[in-house]
Amino acid sequence: MTAATTTMRILIPAAVGAFALLQPVWAESAAEVRVTYSNGQFQPGVVNAPVDKPVVIRVKNLDAKALEFESTSLRVEKVVAAKSEGVVNVRALKPGRYEFYDDFNASAHGALIVE
Amino acid sequence: MQTALAFYALGNLFYGTDAAVAQDASSWREIETKYIFGFTTGSGIGLEGEKEFSVDSVGRFGKRDGHYAATETKYEFEVTPSQFVQIEFGALGSTHNIGAMTTLDGRNQAAFGGGFAEFRYLAVERTSNNPLSVTLAVEPTVRFIDETSGAGVHNFEFETTVNADIEVLKNRLYAGFNLLYEPEVTRTATDAIQREAQFGGSAALSVRLAPNLLIGGEVWYLRHYNSPTLSDFTGDALMAGPTLYVQFTPKVFMTAAWNAQVWGREAGNSLTLNLSEFQRHRARLKFAFEF
Repeated sequence: MTAATTTMRILIPAAVGAFALLQPVWAESAAEVRVTYSNGQFQPGVVNAPVDKPVVIRVKNLDAKALEFESTSLRVEKVVAAKSEGVVNVRALKPGRYEFYDDFNASAHGALIVE
Repeated sequence: MQTALAFYALGNLFYGTDAAVAQDASSWREIETKYIFGFTTGSGIGLEGEKEFSVDSVGRFGKRDGHYAATETKYEFEVTPSQFVQIEFGALGSTHNIGAMTTLDGRNQAAFGGGFAEFRYLAVERTSNNPLSVTLAVEPTVRFIDETSGAGVHNFEFETTVNADIEVLKNRLYAGFNLLYEPEVTRTATDAIQREAQFGGSAALSVRLAPNLLIGGEVWYLRHYNSPTLSDFTGDALMAGPTLYVQFTPKVFMTAAWNAQVWGREAGNSLTLNLSEFQRHRARLKFAFEF
C-alpha cells in the first residue's frame, strides 16, 4: 500500500465524518425565519434574523402558482411549487438589510433585516 | 417606416428608460455585478444553485501593418455550488484572419482552440452597510492555437485576478477594479519554449439607466514580460472604451465592450502604441442564459 493510498483512506472518511457531524450542529444553531406567500405578496414583508448565525428561511406558498424565492445579496434562489413549502439555507450573515423577491412576479418583494 | 419601427423596438427593449432615469432606483432589484463592466470583471458569483451557459467572444483587431483580426470564443458552463464559490469551465474556439503582415504569417482559419476552467471565491461580501465586494479568481487555460498568430502550439496559461467593485450609489452607480497577473508557457511547433506574463489592472464605472440597462466606460493598463517573474519587460499599453449591459429577461442578458489602445510603447523602439503584444482594438460580446 502506497503512502498516497493510506493518506486517502484516512482523509476521505475523516472528511465525510466531519461533514456529517457538522450538519446537525449547523441545523441546531441556525435561526429560523418563516415567510408566507399569498396573493402574490410576501407576508410579512420584513423579517428579522440575528447576526452571525446561519438562517433557515421557510417559504410557504399559499398561491396556486409557483414562485421563485430569489435574492442577489443573500445569493440564493429556490423555486417553491404551488401550495407547498420551500426551505432556503443561508450562511451566517453580517448586520444589514437583505432584499428578496419572487423572480416570477415583479411586484413581490421583501427584506430580511439582520441585527 | 422601417427606421421608425427599429426605434420603436429599441425603445421597447430599454423599456421606459427616460422614466427610469427619473425613478427612485432604491425600488429596483439589486443587480449581479460580474458582467456590468465590460472586460473588467465584477465581484459577483451568482446565486447558490444557479447555472448558466454563455457564449463569450473577444475579438482583437489591428497590428502595425497588413490586416489582422483574431477572435476567441468561450463556450462556457457556470455553476455556483455555494454562497461563496463559483466554478466555470468550457471550450475555446478561435479564428484568425491575418494577411500582408511583416511579423506574422498570413492565415485564414477557424479552429478548436482548447479549454479552460475558472474558480472564484468571494472574499469580501457587500452588505447594506459595506459597499465593497471582492472576489479572487484563478483560471487555468490550455490552448492548442496561439492567441496572437493562430499557429499550432501547446500553451498553458494561469490567469489570476482580483475582482473588486463598489456600489457607489444604491442600485445606480458602480465602480469596478481588476488586478491581473497572467503567466503562461508555450511550446511551439518547433519545440521552442516561450515563457511570458501579463500584469496590469483596470478601473471601470457603470451607471444603471434603467433596471435592465447599464452603460459605462473602462480603462486597462497592461504590461507584458518575457518572463513569468516579471523580470524582462517588453512593453505596455493603455486601453479604454465604452461598455454596455442589457438584461433581456430575468434569465437572459448580454454584455458588450470595446477598447481602443490609446497609448502604448514597445521596449527598444520609439514607435507609437504597442502593437507587438497588444492590438489597436479589442471587442467583447457575451450572451448568457441562466437556468
